[in-house]
Amino acid sequence: MNFTKLRYLVARNCKLFFRDKGTFFPSLIAPLILLFLFIAFLGDVYRDSIRSVVEGFPISDGLVESIAGGWLISTLLAVCAVTIAFTANTIMVQDRVTGARNDLLVAPMSAGLLALSYFLATFLVTLLICFTALGAGFCYLAAIGWRLSVLDVFSAVLDSALLALFGTALSSLVCGFLRSQGAVAAIQATVSAAYGFLCGAYMPFGNLAGWLKDVLMLLPGSYGTGLLHLHLMGGAIEAVTEEGMPPALAEALKQGFDCTLDFFGSAVPVWVCYLVLGIATALLLAAYVALCAHMGRRARPRRSVRNFT
Amino acid sequence: MALIEIRHLKKYYKDVKAVDDISFTVGEGEFFAFLGVNGAGKSTTISVLCGRERRDGGDVLLGGQDVEDDAGARAAMGVVFQDCVLDKALSVRDNLKYRAALYGITGKAFDRKLRELSALFDLTELLPRPVGKLSGGQRRRVDVARALLHEPKLLILDEPTTGLDPQTRKSLWETLLGLRAVRRLTIFLTTHYMEEAAGADRVVILDKGKILADDTPLNLKEKYAHDLVTLYHVRESDVKMLGVPYRREGEKYLVSVKNSAEATALITAHPQLFHDYEVVKGKMDDVFLAVTGRTLEQGGTK
Repeated sequence: MNFTKLRYLVARNCKLFFRDKGTFFPSLIAPLILLFLFIAFLGDVYRDSIRSVVEGFPISDGLVESIAGGWLISTLLAVCAVTIAFTANTIMVQDRVTGARNDLLVAPMSAGLLALSYFLATFLVTLLICFTALGAGFCYLAAIGWRLSVLDVFSAVLDSALLALFGTALSSLVCGFLRSQGAVAAIQATVSAAYGFLCGAYMPFGNLAGWLKDVLMLLPGSYGTGLLHLHLMGGAIEAVTEEGMPPALAEALKQGFDCTLDFFGSAVPVWVCYLVLGIATALLLAAYVALCAHMGRRARPRRSVRNFT
Repeated sequence: MALIEIRHLKKYYKDVKAVDDISFTVGEGEFFAFLGVNGAGKSTTISVLCGRERRDGGDVLLGGQDVEDDAGARAAMGVVFQDCVLDKALSVRDNLKYRAALYGITGKAFDRKLRELSALFDLTELLPRPVGKLSGGQRRRVDVARALLHEPKLLILDEPTTGLDPQTRKSLWETLLGLRAVRRLTIFLTTHYMEEAAGADRVVILDKGKILADDTPLNLKEKYAHDLVTLYHVRESDVKMLGVPYRREGEKYLVSVKNSAEATALITAHPQLFHDYEVVKGKMDDVFLAVTGRTLEQGGTK
């Protein structure tokens, strides 16, 4: 593998993403909508929900803000990791539509190297934006009342990176099939609108009907969202015991806000969440590699068949 | 020595024979033109030559190597596509930098190459500008510069001047033909502009995936097009007396002769008529009409 070519291809893809207004700004739509909804009314819904769980016990406004803030940041990150990956990967489809792919492949390099460059660029862009959002989120949480441990901070960084990798693998596979800008726009709109609900970012699973919750728990993205909820809200929720509330109440809050997940009635340990996310990412990645190999075989010229004439 | 050797090339799209058993060679340093209407199979042949499309039969050799050998064949060719395929959002400099890296040209080597191409194609002022903001002619210059980044032996031009104004077209050709002379660059052109094809060393006329004619422009004109003798200030009765086909256009008469020899014979036999006249060689349009039975205009047929 030629790492110089790969480095330049990745740099080109990343630069195209940030320079092209048609890709960069749409990637911010879903997180901005979420932020707007939180400011408009979802924030109050979450605050009321927290107070209703601890009804009868005194809880400080600062702690309620910390829990609600942790929910906001974790949902933002969960949605960003996938929607931004989808937007960043549109470079792959654009190159097919504009013919840039043909131009790149006229050079002496393999289609596999180009496919790898799309994957790495998408991952880097997604990671960069997620880490920027996480950094801003940490500042916000520090401003309203810091409740995270060092382990929570590192875990949130790891969760964001894993979800970015998952989003990259998922979007690479889906975009691998797309051949037009219209198809990309349709997929982007669908993902931006639906993914937040599907992964439990907009609405805690506890608020959904039992069967729907079980169905959504079959989707690996839900486990990534759960991990972010746990590591960005868990500290604040556990702090309620410091304000004199029983541990059972903290546990109820954790369950109510998806910090602990259950699958068909059984509690899902944290390591299983990581395992599910890791296996799902590996499978998506394997499928993407298989797709690229298949398309490479179709596109590559074969040696002449001597008896054809 | 043949740089490109294509033998019995076939490319089918289901029932459509886009390229149907064609064979030809292109010599090193030759200016070769592929002439045909849209859908004749020109771009398909180029796609196969570039390794973008798989062929359904035949051999495609570049410098004796099958084009399937990516490292050797692809590094030897530069391609200017029909439409600009550079990244519109990136600057000219970035586009050239990222493309050059794919040929291992980075750092100071790239800076040197950029200076050289900027001077050649007058790009210096365009370097910081996004490709999407350039005019059609400016983009084409950048396209050609991109194709020449790695100093290829073969430059493939797929209808490169379509949509360009005559002045830009002329200056582009001057630069390319100058380069060809200096570097012994082989030019493989597909076009539907007759005057561009007429300047080539060799022309292949392609129609419905098949080669209908393959020769030098001069030989093609000799073979398929008649010369025209234009006579001024003569009476129609005198022209009729010559006993050759003619037509009247305003005050002049256009007399059709097979070749220069027949024109000379006519002039020497009737010197009293040839006071004010001109002899014009047959045109590639006439060749195309005679070979394909169709005229060619802006890539369409009439």
